[in-house]
Amino acid sequence: MAARNDIAWCPGCGNFPIRDVLESALKELPVPAGSIVMTSGIGQAAKMPHYLEVNYFNGLHGRALPLAVGIKLARPDLTVIAYSGDGCNYGEGGNHFIHTVRRRLDITILTSNNQVYGLTKGQSSPTTDTGVKNLLDPQGNSNIPLNPLSLAITMGAPFVARGFAGEKDHLKSLLKEAILFKGTALVDILQPCVSFNRVNTYGWYRERVYQVEKPAENRYEALKLVDDWGSRIPIGVLLRDDSAKSRELKTLFGKSITREAVDQMVCTKCVMMR
Amino acid sequence: MEFTVLVGGEAGQGMFSVELELTELLSKLHYHLFATKNYMSRIRGGHNFHMIRIAETPVHALSGEPWDMIIALDPETEGYHKQDLSASGIFLPPGQIKEMEGIARERFGGVTAVNTMLVGLILSTIGCPQEKFSGITDISSNPAHLSAGFEFAHRWGLAGRYRLTPKAQAHCKFDGNQALALGALLGGCQFMAGYPMTPATSIMQYISTVALDHPVHFEQAEDEISAVNMALGASYAGLRSLVATSGGGFALMQEGISLAGMTETPVVVIVAQRPGPATGLPTRTEQGDLNFVLHAGHGEFPRAIYAPGTLHEAMVLARKSFHVADGCQTPVFILTDQYFADSVQMMFEDIPLEITRRDYGSFDASYRRYRLTDSGLSPLACPGAGDGLVRVDSDEHDEEGKITEDLSLRARMVEKRLRKFDFLRKETVMPSFTGNEASDVIVINWGSNKMIVEEAVRRLIGEGVSAGALHFSQVYPLTQEMAAPWNLKGKRLLSVENNATGQFAALLKRELGLTVDHQILKYNGECFTVRELSQTLRKHLP
Repeated sequence: MAARNDIAWCPGCGNFPIRDVLESALKELPVPAGSIVMTSGIGQAAKMPHYLEVNYFNGLHGRALPLAVGIKLARPDLTVIAYSGDGCNYGEGGNHFIHTVRRRLDITILTSNNQVYGLTKGQSSPTTDTGVKNLLDPQGNSNIPLNPLSLAITMGAPFVARGFAGEKDHLKSLLKEAILFKGTALVDILQPCVSFNRVNTYGWYRERVYQVEKPAENRYEALKLVDDWGSRIPIGVLLRDDSAKSRELKTLFGKSITREAVDQMVCTKCVMMR
Repeated sequence: MEFTVLVGGEAGQGMFSVELELTELLSKLHYHLFATKNYMSRIRGGHNFHMIRIAETPVHALSGEPWDMIIALDPETEGYHKQDLSASGIFLPPGQIKEMEGIARERFGGVTAVNTMLVGLILSTIGCPQEKFSGITDISSNPAHLSAGFEFAHRWGLAGRYRLTPKAQAHCKFDGNQALALGALLGGCQFMAGYPMTPATSIMQYISTVALDHPVHFEQAEDEISAVNMALGASYAGLRSLVATSGGGFALMQEGISLAGMTETPVVVIVAQRPGPATGLPTRTEQGDLNFVLHAGHGEFPRAIYAPGTLHEAMVLARKSFHVADGCQTPVFILTDQYFADSVQMMFEDIPLEITRRDYGSFDASYRRYRLTDSGLSPLACPGAGDGLVRVDSDEHDEEGKITEDLSLRARMVEKRLRKFDFLRKETVMPSFTGNEASDVIVINWGSNKMIVEEAVRRLIGEGVSAGALHFSQVYPLTQEMAAPWNLKGKRLLSVENNATGQFAALLKRELGLTVDHQILKYNGECFTVRELSQTLRKHLP
């Protein structure tokens, strides 16, 4: 772990409590540390793996999820966590977000959602609320914010949760539950940006968040629940469907291609041009 | 002695089935064959044609000579091709096909039987005895349909008109993409991700079929950006990984190529070229993306680019590319094209049956992914296989894989990555020469033009013209030792390329200081034929 002053985040950044919680959650998991792999993209949140004792592939902006998919498909034995911000996971990587959920893999998707672009110093993100003024839309954001939770539910995610950087114990239990869940799990983490988001501050979130007691009964109830964004914002596990089946993956690593595979290819008839 | 046949019609009329069944049977009956196709980017309608060359000696190109037989499933075929029928050639107009359809309906309950009937008719025309089929056990063509085709050949006086003797020895029959897929398996490739794009899709199809029963995985990605990132993820996690696409899809992969360069993650990338820019001619051929692949990905990092010219080269180089990608920890490219991908040929060389694999050394908690070494190569490891953590980063990084902005370290890391070029130099694939070594004129070529050029040069030599050809199946890096044995500086150089700007000739000039005196370029979307090329070459030879 880097010395606190080597970390590239601003003093007071919402990512600090998330990092602390994640570090302790990972230590408490019944999984050897060497079997945990974190992927990330680019942005302030995407630097997260550098500040933890894990294997990581810190890739390109928006591409944390396809990296995670490739790693999981190749090595089902690894615990795979994709970590990035809202710009990375929902903007540049928005298409990957949709399709990664559809793949039914046991991957945990964690997003530091601060509703703003931090590393590029203050532009609107996919989750910026309508009307909020940022560097490149001084007239106020004219777009409707993307709701990552309803998008994930619609795409068939079996585990959908929201946490808040200001409620550390609650967040830690969410992270552990998400990582241990057998299937695609999303935890969208409300992360105050103290430098570039003057609207969605710690105080702003604290006034609104409330912990749900248990997940919604079903997908449709969950959609109603996550639609709630305004005076009250639900946090907690909002959907958990243990009946959803993840894809069965075969073991590839350590196995060798055999002569039989080669013979099969040699005997395959030519296929239609495609 | 040989026999050439063109089968033309609308997409969906069954010409493809005729080619597939015919080449399958010809191969089993030991006739030398070459087949390729010219098709439009549509599912139905339009004009497509399939060209099959059957011979008593090995053939690996279109002769370009007038056709011995044209089968016109539609009236357009007559308009487009009848002028290219040889004087004594056989023309089967749509009317005669209708007659066959009548019998097909009557006896077999549908017109699709005509495909196999045409196969029978062609086999009868080359004098293949019908009883030969009884010796083939795994025949997929319906014997009754084949027989009906033989009957028509007899009725129309075609039987034995172009009698050929089957002389092909033991061989495999592949299309170009199949040879690449086979090579990938031999190279220990266990992971492929891709987004369908002509003419690369059949590589995905071959790999996904093998993946059903073997420790190999194919994943269809949501786009090519995802495909290359999945492959890098799988490679990082421990598997030899492959992607294949064409120019447009490769454009999307570029940031991933750069990521492979920076993170030193091995990956093999097959780029099956088709004419661009943009969507271009989606189902035709070109060698227009050499510069693109050469310069793909921002930043500076080592790469190798192979461009096979034969099935054997495709197989061997695809196999080798995984060894080189791992050895150099960098992306390795295979440049192929629609012509090679869609041509069915025979391969007589042995298959290198030793399947290679990536092996990891043991490593402990002190492991550093980017340890600075004299060779530039740091030990490769994968997560969960030792005590050390495997940390890779797209940012400039320190030896541990942690993000850095230490500018002196940056310079050392750049030098480390570039030192890996030495590995590529050790793995150089030498160009291959054909023809008269003493010839004052050398025809330079690369990739899929190899066998067309070779036959053209053989034909010229047969006509008493002195000629030689040098084919490059490694187009990058180009080193002085690759050119040294051929004394190229003292000779007149001609070049043959399927593009409009002579990209390889320019690369030869840049890398080796060699000047091509005359370029023969074709860029209408079709391959060269032997006749066309030999006629053009003759004008430039003494």
